[in-house]
Amino acid sequence: MRVPGLRGGVRVQLRYLLDREGLLGPLMLLPAIIYILALVGFPLVLAIAYSLSDVTAGDTSLDNFVGLDNFSRIIKRPEFRRALQNTILFVVVSQVLIIVLATTLAQILSQDFRGKAVVRFLIILPWAAPIALGTIAWLWLLDSEFSPIDLILRELHLLGPAGLLGRDAILGTDTNLVWLGRERLTMASVIMVHVWRLLPLSTVILLAALTTIPRDVLDQAEVDGAGFWRTLFQIKIPLILPIMGIAILFGMILTAGDMAVVYNLTRGGPVYYTQVLPTWSFFIGIEGGSLAQGAAVALFLLPLLLVVTILVLRLARRSEVT
Amino acid sequence: MAQENKPRRSIFSWALRKAAWGLALTVATGLLLLAACGDDEEAPPAETPEVAPTVVEVPVEEFPPGTELKLLQWSHFVPQYDKWFDPFAEEWGDDVGVDVTVDHINLADLFPTLTAALAAGEGPTMIELIIAASLFVEGVQDLTDVNEEAQRLFGPQIDTCTANSYLPTTDTWFAFCHGWVPDPGDYNKALWSQVGFPDGPSTWDDLLVGGARIRDELNVPIGLGLSPEIDSEMAARAIIWSYGGSVQDENECVTINSPEVIEAVEYMAELFDKTMTDEVFAWNAASNNQGLIAGELSYILNSISAYRSLQKIDPAASDDIFFVPALTGPRGDQHASAHVWQIYVIPNYVTGAELEAAKAFLLHLTANYNQATFNSELYNFPAFKSTVPQLYETFESTQFGEQPSWLDRDPFGSRPNDKLKEALSTAEDWVTYLGFPGPSSPAASRVYADRVISNMMAQVALGDKTAEEAVAEAEATIEEIFDEWRDKGYVGCT
Repeated sequence: MRVPGLRGGVRVQLRYLLDREGLLGPLMLLPAIIYILALVGFPLVLAIAYSLSDVTAGDTSLDNFVGLDNFSRIIKRPEFRRALQNTILFVVVSQVLIIVLATTLAQILSQDFRGKAVVRFLIILPWAAPIALGTIAWLWLLDSEFSPIDLILRELHLLGPAGLLGRDAILGTDTNLVWLGRERLTMASVIMVHVWRLLPLSTVILLAALTTIPRDVLDQAEVDGAGFWRTLFQIKIPLILPIMGIAILFGMILTAGDMAVVYNLTRGGPVYYTQVLPTWSFFIGIEGGSLAQGAAVALFLLPLLLVVTILVLRLARRSEVT
Repeated sequence: MAQENKPRRSIFSWALRKAAWGLALTVATGLLLLAACGDDEEAPPAETPEVAPTVVEVPVEEFPPGTELKLLQWSHFVPQYDKWFDPFAEEWGDDVGVDVTVDHINLADLFPTLTAALAAGEGPTMIELIIAASLFVEGVQDLTDVNEEAQRLFGPQIDTCTANSYLPTTDTWFAFCHGWVPDPGDYNKALWSQVGFPDGPSTWDDLLVGGARIRDELNVPIGLGLSPEIDSEMAARAIIWSYGGSVQDENECVTINSPEVIEAVEYMAELFDKTMTDEVFAWNAASNNQGLIAGELSYILNSISAYRSLQKIDPAASDDIFFVPALTGPRGDQHASAHVWQIYVIPNYVTGAELEAAKAFLLHLTANYNQATFNSELYNFPAFKSTVPQLYETFESTQFGEQPSWLDRDPFGSRPNDKLKEALSTAEDWVTYLGFPGPSSPAASRVYADRVISNMMAQVALGDKTAEEAVAEAEATIEEIFDEWRDKGYVGCT
C-alpha cells in the first residue's frame, strides 16, 4: 500500500499496522460504534436519566432524583394499560398480516409475468412515500363524513339505507362506516394502514431470500413430485426462515416504535382506545410538558423489544442452514 | 424597562407611518367589501371606516446595532392576519433598529418547537402559544414589568387573558396575552327555524330538544366533538361550567367529582345519543368547521373563523349562519371558554437588548391592536379593550364621520351586518379559561393537554362507563397531576 507523502520507514510501519486484523477490524467498526453511541446510546441514557428525574419542558435540569416515581404514576393511569395492550395487539396482528401478505407477494413476484415491473413499482410505493403524506391520504380516505371508500360501498349498495334487493345493506343502514370513530373499526383501520405501509419492506426482504434458494433444490423437489404447498412449507419457508426472522424483527421494532400512523389518523382516539406507547409518550412528554413521564412511558418498550429481539435472533440462528 | 433612557425616534415619522397604514387598510377594506357586496341590496355599504391610528404611542428607542427579534407563531386561522402582521413587525424593527424575523408554523408544532428550544437553550426570541402556556412556566421569563406597563398604558386587562399569563400561587407573570377569541355557538338559522327556534338555542336544554328534532326530522346532526382535541375539550368544559361544576375551585382544590359534573356528563351522553352521530369521536380540530361549511351540521361551538371561510366560499350559505352566546345551564350558569388566546412567552435564554426589544414590541403590538382585530376579521379580540374602541363603540372616522361599532356593522360583509353583535358583544360576560374558577396553572393546563375531560365525556357517551365511574377515574388522574405540580410549588390547596 502506498501512502503519498510518507517516508519509506513510516510507510512500511503503517502498512504493517493496517495488515493486522486486530487493529483493522476495530478501526473499520469505529464509525458504526460512534454512530450508534451518539444516536442510540446517548438518547437512551438520557431517556433513562429523564425517567428517574422530574424534568419538564420548562426545566430540563437533572438535579432532582425521584427514583421510580414516574413509572408508578403512569402505571396507575388507565391510558397506560390500554396503550400497552394496544401496542402488543398492534405489533402482533400487523406482523402476522405483513408476513403472510409479504410471503404471498414475494412468491408472486419471484415468478415471471407481464407487467411485473409495474407491480413491483406499485408495491414499493407506500414505503418510498413519506409516511406523513401517506397517512394523511388515508385520513381523507377514512373520513367520517366524506370517505370515498364509503361512497363506493354506498354505490354498490353494501352500505346505507338502500341495500341490495330491497334488503338492509350488508354493512349497515348508516350512510358512513365512521372508520375512525368506532373502537374496533378504528383499531382495524390503524393496523390496515400500518400493514399497507410496512408490507413493501418485508416483501423485498423475502423476495431477496427466495432468490438465495439454490435452483437445484427446487428442481429436485419438482422431480420428486412435490406440489406448490409442499414446496412452500417444507422447502422454501424453512430455507428462508433466518431471513424471515430478520424481516419479522425489523417489522416488530418499526411497528412498536411507530407513532406516525396513530398520531396522524386518530391521535389515540376515540377516547384513548387506539393509544399506543409511542404516541402516549409523545402526548405526555411533549404536549403535556412532562418529559420525565414521557421518557418513562417510552422506556416500557425497551424490555419488550429486547426480549423480542433476543428471541428472534436465537430463532434465526437455530434455523440457519449451513 | 431599560429602554426608557434611550432617545425617542421622530414622532413625525411615526405619525406618518401610522397614517399610511390607515390609508392602506382603508383602501384594502374598501376593495374587499366591494368584492364581497356585489349587487345585493342588503349588502353593507362599500365605504368602510378607516382603522383608527394608534391609541397610545409607546416610547420607542433605537436598539444597539445587531439586535435581533425572532418571532415564532402559528399560521393564523385567518390568513389576512399573517399578511398584515409580518410587515407590521418588520417595519417596527426598521424604525427602532431591530432585525425582526417572523416564522409561522403549524399549530400542532408549537409545543414541540418550544420544548426543543428550551432544551437546546437557543431558538426564537418569542413564541406565541394559543393555550396552556403555563406548562412552560419554569423555562420562560418573568414578564411582570411589561404586563404592568401595559396595564398602566392601556388600562385593565380582560380576566380571561390575565388568567392565561399570571400565576397567583407564585405571583408571577409568565407570559403576555395580547388577545383572545370568543367561542360562541354557530347555528344554521334555516334549520333551527323549522323546529321552532328561529333565534337558535339559548340553553343546553334548547340544544337537546331542538337538536334532536333537527336530526330526526331533517337528518342533520349537531356537532360538539367527543374526541381528544381542543374543540371537544372546550365543549365539554362549557357544559360542566354551565351545570355548575368545575375541575378545580378558586383555591386550586380538585372538585371534579361533584353531582354537578356527573349531571353534566350524563347530559352530554344524552345529547350525543339524541342529536349526534359517531363521527364526533373521530374529529380533529378542523372537523366541526368543515361540517358547518358543508352544511352537514346544525350547531357547532367555535370561533367565527368557520363562518369567515364560508363567507368566502359560499356567501349565500353563510347568510344562514348565525351566532348565540354561551348556552345557559339548568341553574342559570352561563360559561364557555375562549376558543384560543394569543399568548407570547419569552424563553429564559433570551437576554439583554433582545429581551428588551421583545418587550417593546409587545407594547407596540398592543397599542396597535385595532389593526390586529381588524386584520383578523374580528377573530382576535383585544386583551385591553381600550386599544380597540371601534369594536364595541360608535367612533369618529376622519374620513367617514361617525361610524357604528364593528360589532354593530360587521366590516366584512355579514348579512345582516349586525349578526355578530348579540353573541360577541356579550362574550366578555361569559368567557372563561382553562382552570376556571381557579387559575390556569400548569396542572390545569396538563389536565387539558392529557384530554382528561373530553375522554371522560366520550367514555360515557360510548356507553363504556357510567358517569360516576368516568368522573371517579378522571378525578384520580387529575389528583395525580395536581399533586405533581403542587410538589413543585405551582399549585395551591395544600
